[in-house]
Amino acid sequence: MSSALIAQSPSAIRGLRAARNGAIRGRVDLRKVPTPSEPRPNVADLGAAVRALDISDRLRSVVYLESAPRGAFETVEPTHAVMDQRGERFVPHILAITTGTTVDFPNSDHIYHNVFSLSKTKRFDLGRYAAGHSVPVRFDRPGIVRVFCDIHSHMNAFILVFSHPFFSLTDNDGRFRIDNIPPGVYNVIAWNEGVQSDPRAVTIPDGGIAEEDFVLR
Amino acid sequence: MTSGLRRAALLAAVALGGGTLPAGAQVLPSEPIALAGGHVTVSGDVTAAIGSDDTGFFNYTDYEHSALKLFRVDLSTSVTLNSHFTLLGEIRDENIDTLRAYAFYVRIRPWIDRGIDIQAGRVPPTFGAFARRVYATDNPLVGYPLAYQYLTSLRPDALPWSADELLRMRGRGWLSNFSIGNQEPENGVAVATAFRWDTGIQLHAASDKVDGTVAVTTGTLSNPRITDDNSAPQVAARVSARPIPGLVLGVSASRGPFVSSTAARGAVGDGHDRDFTQTAWGGDIEYSRGYYVLRAETIWSEWKLPALGAPVIDTPLQALSTYVEGRYKLRPGLYVAGRVDHLGFNDIVGSAGPQSWDAPVTRVEVGAGYSLLRNLLLKISVQRNTRDGGRVPSATLAAVQAVYWF
Repeated sequence: MSSALIAQSPSAIRGLRAARNGAIRGRVDLRKVPTPSEPRPNVADLGAAVRALDISDRLRSVVYLESAPRGAFETVEPTHAVMDQRGERFVPHILAITTGTTVDFPNSDHIYHNVFSLSKTKRFDLGRYAAGHSVPVRFDRPGIVRVFCDIHSHMNAFILVFSHPFFSLTDNDGRFRIDNIPPGVYNVIAWNEGVQSDPRAVTIPDGGIAEEDFVLR
Repeated sequence: MTSGLRRAALLAAVALGGGTLPAGAQVLPSEPIALAGGHVTVSGDVTAAIGSDDTGFFNYTDYEHSALKLFRVDLSTSVTLNSHFTLLGEIRDENIDTLRAYAFYVRIRPWIDRGIDIQAGRVPPTFGAFARRVYATDNPLVGYPLAYQYLTSLRPDALPWSADELLRMRGRGWLSNFSIGNQEPENGVAVATAFRWDTGIQLHAASDKVDGTVAVTTGTLSNPRITDDNSAPQVAARVSARPIPGLVLGVSASRGPFVSSTAARGAVGDGHDRDFTQTAWGGDIEYSRGYYVLRAETIWSEWKLPALGAPVIDTPLQALSTYVEGRYKLRPGLYVAGRVDHLGFNDIVGSAGPQSWDAPVTRVEVGAGYSLLRNLLLKISVQRNTRDGGRVPSATLAAVQAVYWF
């Protein structure tokens, strides 16, 4: 899966000489919305923990070009992003960034959290820190990074790291739009919580907009 | 290695997806299984430990089970009936033996927006800090703290006739026998066992900074029970505070009749069920920050036994246990840990003079853990045990443990 996030310059890419870039837009329909991870049954606890489930951020998917236009990598500019820890959840649940981006992990809860990942793409452990503190992590390799809290096992999130900027995070209705794509034929993939569509060849018209819908799960 | 342990090790390898199982990591769950729209949640722990032969029985949890050679499967379930009622249970199997209900209780939250819970059934331990830790993932080492595992010679169903009879059992808690009550050799009890939960009712109230719990149960700290054996309950209480993030301070107390009715009747006749008590006090502290966690806990316990034959046991039997434990993460997925632990006993006077009623024991354990996956942990630890008595006065033991959880 992580290799799919590495931009390529395949022979299938055509039409790079076109003057006007196009776009792709559409909708990702989730047949089944993934539910937030349930906490492990707190059998050994002396009382219940109060936790409200919020599935709104589980409705969001990522759509991206499997193969990026030649020269796409030159346009990537490192930026900052934020993944908050709030109400024993990572917010947002899914973060899509380009390589070189630094992600800040502030703790907005009044309790400790301990962000870590054992993903091959980026292995890190930020240790325990309290509210008001934030620790940055720079992501230099493309791939999928699963993020967890070492103290609260139900806290998890995804960071998708792309080596090109041709991706879009859908809104809660599943709508997406990727702009500034040079005309040509590209393989497009929709992804949600570890489930992805088969690559779908989509033609980006010269100065136009391609429409493509996906169904996942 | 016994055939049972070989079978356990094989099953552990299969359960953990190791060796020859193709794509084992993909078929095993990594998160709790949610059913019925999240109303039913099931999680599990599989723990497989293989270690040195413990001929001194330093790590035995009863006559047959050593914590260093243990294959354990835990399944925990919560069933949320509505916002006020939740059923919680845990079944456990050790070394592919009898399946046991470790916990089974109902949690009642009378007011949804207030942190007050009532728990009734086979409930979590009120006393202390360690017994409520999730063993597989929250114990950085393979061994247990002595207070929660080491078997003293005391038994609730059998009583020593004299101080000499008790002193003869020093360092033999793994299989002690006395002349009053049940005369069959059985294992003694730990100060506060982590291997069984008591049965009763528990009230817990929590705020942002302070938690308080009080419980009335059938057994005692050393001898949790499902049914009462002496017609009087134990009362236990705990208060813990979190004054700043990362710091937890706790104090606990408990008191209840320890000796069974049958043994008490055999010693002093009817009507003394409530006289022979176990009383315990405990204090614990945890501080964590960055990459380290430090914990310390001390438990003082006193058992009152009947004074029978000469030389009589003329003073309550006391035990004091203290451990200090630390864990430090070296890099993602890798940590080192250590624990220094001592369990001591007060003196009684036998024919040969004063002597501690059981053999004091000290354990130093160091180890490391490495997470292959988020929910697959390998631990290795080495411990040095020394004891002032018993057949085996000291032992250096090593163990490796694999832990899988979902």
